Amino acid sequence: MSLGVFELRRLLVRQWTRRPGRALATIFSVAVAVGAVVATWVSADASRVGYKSLTSAIEGVPAVDILSRAGGRFEASDVPALAGIPGVRAVVPLFYRPTLLRVGEKRVREIAVGVDAERLVAIGMLELSAGRACTAIDEVVLDENLARSLGKVVDDEILFFARRGVRRMTVVGLAVPTSLRWFGEGAGVVLDIAALEDMSNALGLVDRVRVALTPAADRKGVVEAAGKLLPDTLVAEIPAGRAAMAEDVMHSADLGLDFVTGLTVAMSWFIVGNAMLMNVTERRRSLSLVRLLGASGRQIRRMITMESALLGAVGAAIGVAAGLAAARPIAAGISRSLQAPFTGLVVHPAIIPLSALMGILVAVAAAWWPARQAAAVDPLEGLANAPPPPSPGIPWRFVGAALVLWAFATGMLGLVILEKLPPRAAVPAGIAMLLSFVAMTPVILPPIARACAALVPRRFRIERELALAQILRQPVRTALTTGVLVVAVSNGIGLGHAIRDNVEDIRGWYARLMSADWVMTPAGTMSAAAEGGGAGPRSAEEDVRAIGGVDRIDVIGIAAGRVAGGACVIVARDVPDDAPLPLDPVGADEATVRAALARGEAVAGTVLARRLGLVAGDDLAVEVFGRKTKVRVAALVVDYTSGGASLILRRDAAKRLFGLESADVILVTAKPGEAAALRAPLQAIADGRGMLLRSFTDMKRFVDGIVNGVVGSLWAILGLGFLVGSLGVANTVTMNVLEQRRTLGLLRAVGMTSRQVTGVVVLESVLLGLSGAVIGLIAGLTTALFIQIASQPLLGHPIRSTLRPTVILANMLAAVVVTALAAWIPARRAARIDLLEAVSSE
Amino acid sequence: MAILRAVHLEKTFAAAAGSTAGVMAIRGVDVEIEPGEFVAITGASGSGKSTLLHLLGGITRPTAGKVILEGVDLAAIGDDDLALVRRRRIGFIFQRYNLLPELSLVENVGLPLVLDGIPEARCDAAARAALETVGMGHRADHRPDALSGGEQQRGAIARALVTAPAIVLADEPTGALDSENSRRVVELLRSIVADHGQTVVLVTHDPGIAAEAGRCIRMADGRIISDTLQPDSPGRPPVARQAPAHRGKSGGKRPGRKR
Ligand SMILES: Nc1ncnc2c1ncn2[C@@H]1O[C@H](COP(=O)(O)OP(=O)(O)OP(=O)(O)O)[C@@H](O)[C@H]1O
Ligand SMILES: [Mg+2]
Repeated sequence: MSLGVFELRRLLVRQWTRRPGRALATIFSVAVAVGAVVATWVSADASRVGYKSLTSAIEGVPAVDILSRAGGRFEASDVPALAGIPGVRAVVPLFYRPTLLRVGEKRVREIAVGVDAERLVAIGMLELSAGRACTAIDEVVLDENLARSLGKVVDDEILFFARRGVRRMTVVGLAVPTSLRWFGEGAGVVLDIAALEDMSNALGLVDRVRVALTPAADRKGVVEAAGKLLPDTLVAEIPAGRAAMAEDVMHSADLGLDFVTGLTVAMSWFIVGNAMLMNVTERRRSLSLVRLLGASGRQIRRMITMESALLGAVGAAIGVAAGLAAARPIAAGISRSLQAPFTGLVVHPAIIPLSALMGILVAVAAAWWPARQAAAVDPLEGLANAPPPPSPGIPWRFVGAALVLWAFATGMLGLVILEKLPPRAAVPAGIAMLLSFVAMTPVILPPIARACAALVPRRFRIERELALAQILRQPVRTALTTGVLVVAVSNGIGLGHAIRDNVEDIRGWYARLMSADWVMTPAGTMSAAAEGGGAGPRSAEEDVRAIGGVDRIDVIGIAAGRVAGGACVIVARDVPDDAPLPLDPVGADEATVRAALARGEAVAGTVLARRLGLVAGDDLAVEVFGRKTKVRVAALVVDYTSGGASLILRRDAAKRLFGLESADVILVTAKPGEAAALRAPLQAIADGRGMLLRSFTDMKRFVDGIVNGVVGSLWAILGLGFLVGSLGVANTVTMNVLEQRRTLGLLRAVGMTSRQVTGVVVLESVLLGLSGAVIGLIAGLTTALFIQIASQPLLGHPIRSTLRPTVILANMLAAVVVTALAAWIPARRAARIDLLEAVSSE
Repeated sequence: MAILRAVHLEKTFAAAAGSTAGVMAIRGVDVEIEPGEFVAITGASGSGKSTLLHLLGGITRPTAGKVILEGVDLAAIGDDDLALVRRRRIGFIFQRYNLLPELSLVENVGLPLVLDGIPEARCDAAARAALETVGMGHRADHRPDALSGGEQQRGAIARALVTAPAIVLADEPTGALDSENSRRVVELLRSIVADHGQTVVLVTHDPGIAAEAGRCIRMADGRIISDTLQPDSPGRPPVARQAPAHRGKSGGKRPGRKR
């Protein structure tokens, strides 16, 4: 006698209709897993879009620069057509030239930039507030602020000192400072590029070709694509941005997002795997009966595979819908916290098919193992009063898997530290590390669960024994369930630490750099680094000095520079003797740094130093607006201006070496108690110069706003992890209750109250949660270390890390609370168990 | 005064999905159990023996009628109070022993006391004493699955006795045992009645066992069809049970006794 596939299918349908709860729970699990992946992925994308829009709000149009590899100017005709690269909006050749303007008796040192102004105005990249673009050889467009401070309007004339002598030129238009800034920090005068080249005896040459990108473009992708097209003499690189401080936060946040998304995928595997495992194991006995009746092992395997695919598909469909629904408010919240407009859910076309496919494939794969086991069951087991399968000793298979994963993870990390692999590779390495902990769970969970159980008061020892026994009876199931929690907790602890460390690092740096009461920047500038060059700020500086109540003024000038390895930012600032050093030296004392700066030497940001392999004492060739100078690097400092790719000098040195005189940021420190009184006079000066006055508190709030937005978006996604973890626990505990129905019913028969039964179930759940949290703590701290080590090449300096009891406690507490809540449904179910069924069923 | 009294007891199981009528398993049963009685219930399969026992033990609630244990109507009290009654006043013995595999024998036996919040040491002592009573003292610390069926059942009896309940209800306690083990279990139950004055109600298919009880109730179709005192049986009831007068009140449904 043998059963045909048809009968088996009917049996399957019968099993579903008889116990719809089990099939539904399985579908639910797949839906949760797939939904979590979809929601996390979409939310992560929303965060990335938010980060980008935040960056571009600060920075303007994103760009990639084409430069000569050797430094200096190059033939514009060497640059191949780049417009075909996806994400490229415009290709803008730039020619810089330091120059002198004369207006009446006033002489102003300025940077002139040559561009194809007419075209740029036409495509909306250069914004004029008055007049028109310059086209002829004797026409200029001036920075609005510069024009105001010179007292010039459209159609006025100025004198322009060029190599071929003095030229009389006509102001034909005024440029909006924010739009002009994109063409080069410090540039205040715009000429037609051909005219400027001609004036400089450099026809056909350019300083750089700046490639404007669309907001959504992938900068690194463009750099790579352009790199393939360019001749050997040219390189494509990302300019040292003005918004680099924010970008730095974004960068680690981006890594964090990758990590969280990867972990959610891992988590979803555990959930689906566990659901399938339970779905099959629960029917082990009835399957063995079917075997007894003559079904072959293959038939049973096929039946289960079919069932898994079907349940997986239904679950995946529901999960995709639920995930999209859940992602919407999360994405909207993330956009809001990143101060970006929410224009609706953006769903990458690959997300839905990939997540759904993953759900189905993992379902089938996860059912395969228990199906094989069920098919291999001794048919007689179906007749026996099946005792629980004896628990094996140490499951060496898991230990082996853990070791392999661990080796992989440490290997990858090693390569990242040695910079053989990009920091991004730390993401799979970190995930592998975490998985190795989960693989170890069946081995380390029993002692941990016992230790946690020992915390339970003896009054509840029966509840405790029953809960513990059930947890330990199903090591794989327990491991998969705690695995989800391990991921959630370690995620929370690891990322929590990394986030807080980074945020504190940035805030600490910021507080050091910007210790002042008031900050004046050119209008429209939002970050610390800003446009410069205009005469406006310079005279503003003098005006501020004239106000009473001012204790100290720190002026910072900023310019884009180039070193052999790429772009850097030149920061020129006052270093007053009577104030704390506004720098954070690495491995050098403050007095040495002060002395070196006074000698006209520079200090380099750690990122720049790392990129160039700089050590203190090296000489560095720096090019600023075409002028190449050697500078000695006296020490390294932690700095986030342009992601640490900065070269910092005293202002007098910067003026001498590069002719950099601009005052882009004016920091005003009041005499004690006078801070508030300065507002009115400072505001008056700022208004007169087209500058923006902010209190330091406002400034700090702004930076905090960005940081909090980024951090908030990460937390939101982390919270999603806990939610999913709790659903996984709920499912497992529900399954456990189903299995323990008889035991619990029996206990009720011998006099256990429904409250005590609830206690068993809640305890079971909390013990799972606590054990998961403990393993997650270990894994999380390892992960934190991981992320930190991995981001070192990025930052170039170790981040001071502290163990944060609040982060740890919050996560542990979250795990326990979430699991206790997850027990609610199964506990109610257990309390309603039919005694009669329990005592009479055999 | 009866220790346990059932009045016009009825139990209808809700109709299963797909069928229209419910199953009326108990159709009006009146019965009184006196302290120290050893009562056997017999009857064909499906006649409602187990259901009656479950009703008497507060495991399920009647559709109509009352179950009065020591003056308390079990049908009228809340779920948690009912659990307390089961825990403290009723000892249940099942055909399949129903010991929890997670716990050792002595822990299983002490379970009702532990659930009652009694200090561990006292629970343990009481459980060991109960195991001595059933002759299982030497296996106290073994897990149930290390014991034979007969041994497990003796452990289950110890669990039923450990709280000194008002009444012990046993549903086919020998159903899964061979004749030798059956004999020992029945012997044990009888000695508990004889030596400790414990009230025991036992469901059995075995006429031999039924004959050993002091009183035999036969059921058919959800009703009691005969209720016979067996004065000659080894499990003869104590003298107080001999006064038939006050039992006559509820005897309407009870056909004449044999002999
Ligand atoms: N949970 C239930 N749901 C529906 N019907 C039930 C249920 N339990 C018992 N019955 C029905 O009630 C009737 C009495 O059942 P019960 O188990 O009391 O019989 P029994 O005399 O103990 O039989 P056996 O000697 O086989 O154990 C039977 O017809 C049975 O089918
Ligand atoms: Mg029965």
